[in-house]
Amino acid sequence: MRNWKQILTHLFLILACLFAMLPIMTTVLISFKRQQDITRKPPVLFPCDTETKSFDISACRWAVEGYQRVLAPKPSEDTLLGFSLTGNMIKTYLPNTLMYATISSLLVVFLAGTSGYAFSRFQFRGHNALLKGILAITGVPLLTNLLALYQMAVTLRKSTLPFDDRVFIIVVYIGFFLPLSVWIAKGFFDAIPRDLEEAALIDGCSPIGVLTRITMPLALPGLLAVFLLTFVNVWNEFIAGYLLIAKNEYKPAMFGLYDFLGQNIINLQVIAAACILIALPVVILFLFARNSFFKALVEGAVKG
Amino acid sequence: MQETLHRIKNSKWLRNSLPFWLIMPTILVLLVVQVYPALYTGWLSLQEREPAGWTFVGFKNFERLFGTSQFAESVGHTIVFLVGYVVLTMIIGFITAFLLSRKIRFTGFYLTLLFIPWVIAQIIAGLVFRLLVVPDYGLLSGILQNPAIFPPNGLSILTAVTPRPWIGDFPFPPSPAMLLLILASTWRALPFVTLLLLAAIQTVSKEVLESSRIDGANGWQVIRYIMLPLMLPTLVVTIFNLTLSGMNGVGMVFSLTNGGPGTSTQVLSYMLYTIGWGQLQFGRAAALALIIAVINWLLITGTLRITRVEKRSI
Repeated sequence: MRNWKQILTHLFLILACLFAMLPIMTTVLISFKRQQDITRKPPVLFPCDTETKSFDISACRWAVEGYQRVLAPKPSEDTLLGFSLTGNMIKTYLPNTLMYATISSLLVVFLAGTSGYAFSRFQFRGHNALLKGILAITGVPLLTNLLALYQMAVTLRKSTLPFDDRVFIIVVYIGFFLPLSVWIAKGFFDAIPRDLEEAALIDGCSPIGVLTRITMPLALPGLLAVFLLTFVNVWNEFIAGYLLIAKNEYKPAMFGLYDFLGQNIINLQVIAAACILIALPVVILFLFARNSFFKALVEGAVKG
Repeated sequence: MQETLHRIKNSKWLRNSLPFWLIMPTILVLLVVQVYPALYTGWLSLQEREPAGWTFVGFKNFERLFGTSQFAESVGHTIVFLVGYVVLTMIIGFITAFLLSRKIRFTGFYLTLLFIPWVIAQIIAGLVFRLLVVPDYGLLSGILQNPAIFPPNGLSILTAVTPRPWIGDFPFPPSPAMLLLILASTWRALPFVTLLLLAAIQTVSKEVLESSRIDGANGWQVIRYIMLPLMLPTLVVTIFNLTLSGMNGVGMVFSLTNGGPGTSTQVLSYMLYTIGWGQLQFGRAAALALIIAVINWLLITGTLRITRVEKRSI
């Protein structure tokens, strides 16, 4: 009886994992197919059939055509490997995304760290009102603000003020993901016992010293979680980058992907390859730091 | 002596104003990126673009918005989408979390695999599902478009017409594309829900469960009368979280269906995009944005009330 239950439990969980993984696996499969095998009717899962057999492992026609089209390698003598990648995705869009995600999550960690600490450790006038206000802000839909931010960007571009799409989008990303991060950071600071800080204060440490020597090292795992969460969120963000950045050379990877979709309606392997290339970095990041993600998500959702 | 006094005074001043300096940068950023735009959108909803600039038109934008059949239809689509997405995600999520919470092996392995969809961007998730059902060439299209399986002509999800509604104009039963949108959204939200519910199940005390067992409750009764009531706050928070992300998420619609076929997957957030950036009717889009924001705020206030975060945080 007990054994049966165990087997059923595992069976259901394996099915759930399959549901989670199958769409991704099929995309990987598609990304390695040739054009001829993509546009076949009826479609085949593996491009491994021959005229006599429906599946022959030695006859598999795998190809990297999709990746080639995305990366567009050109022979070049200057580089180490003998070729350079000239595709827009790898040359422009992905580096942009990497830059936006890194800079905005670092700044979010800094801002959420300082204000989360203040909210956790100090009582001051307007404490709860501010905290609730920040929570209320998470309820403003992204698209609501985009209407105004879009107009703002248009006006600023026309004006004589120095304006840079990249600075603007980074500030916007910080603003989008800061409210939740403040709540998460506050939760992590709340979990650090105050006795430690008070003991350090009594021993003659300055308030700033307590912050930098006692609290921050203990809060580091929490802040890392905030960093990772924001990084993935910015990396995956589409609509703001799509609407707010005017210059093509500053656009992020998600825009590049959407653009690809328009150009390659029938070249499914190209779309699939682009999807895999963009998703891979954050999937790897998640695999290495999954416990950080879990902590931040639970903290953020239960409090916020 | 004088010096020490001065130092104490100084540090008191510092301690009193420190929170201000720590919080001010955050408040500034939020004022620029969140508060000002929200207020601007409020102003925009009462304006209309004329060649000379913006003119005040009162509530005309709202009237026009409510006047179109498109708005009522999108509300219908949103309700169908949200109900389908939230119910499906909660049920599968709860079962998965419940099973993961039992003492079995490989829990960490399962959780890791299950969680990968959450890291996939909405727009990529939409594409991944789109690739499966692209007319003629998608991997599932071979089965779906087979007339022998789906008579009479086979089913092409991205182009199939919406079934005739049962009640008035309410878009139920949903179109195949809407079902796919629900499935894809569920796929991506499931990990998050599983994780939250798992965390909640683990806080239900073992003793309570065991003593109810000893009192003769069967498995279902334990879940129904002990576990679910104890988890109620988390369940509510999770449902609201899902509803919010479902209301506001637009990336999936973009890459999966583009609102189509026809307008059969046009939810409110996508409608906002088409009015704003498709038709460049920013006043009317702002009116719609305000309506969505009000619904969101109601949901958030509800969450706060039910979970009593207000009291805990003081």
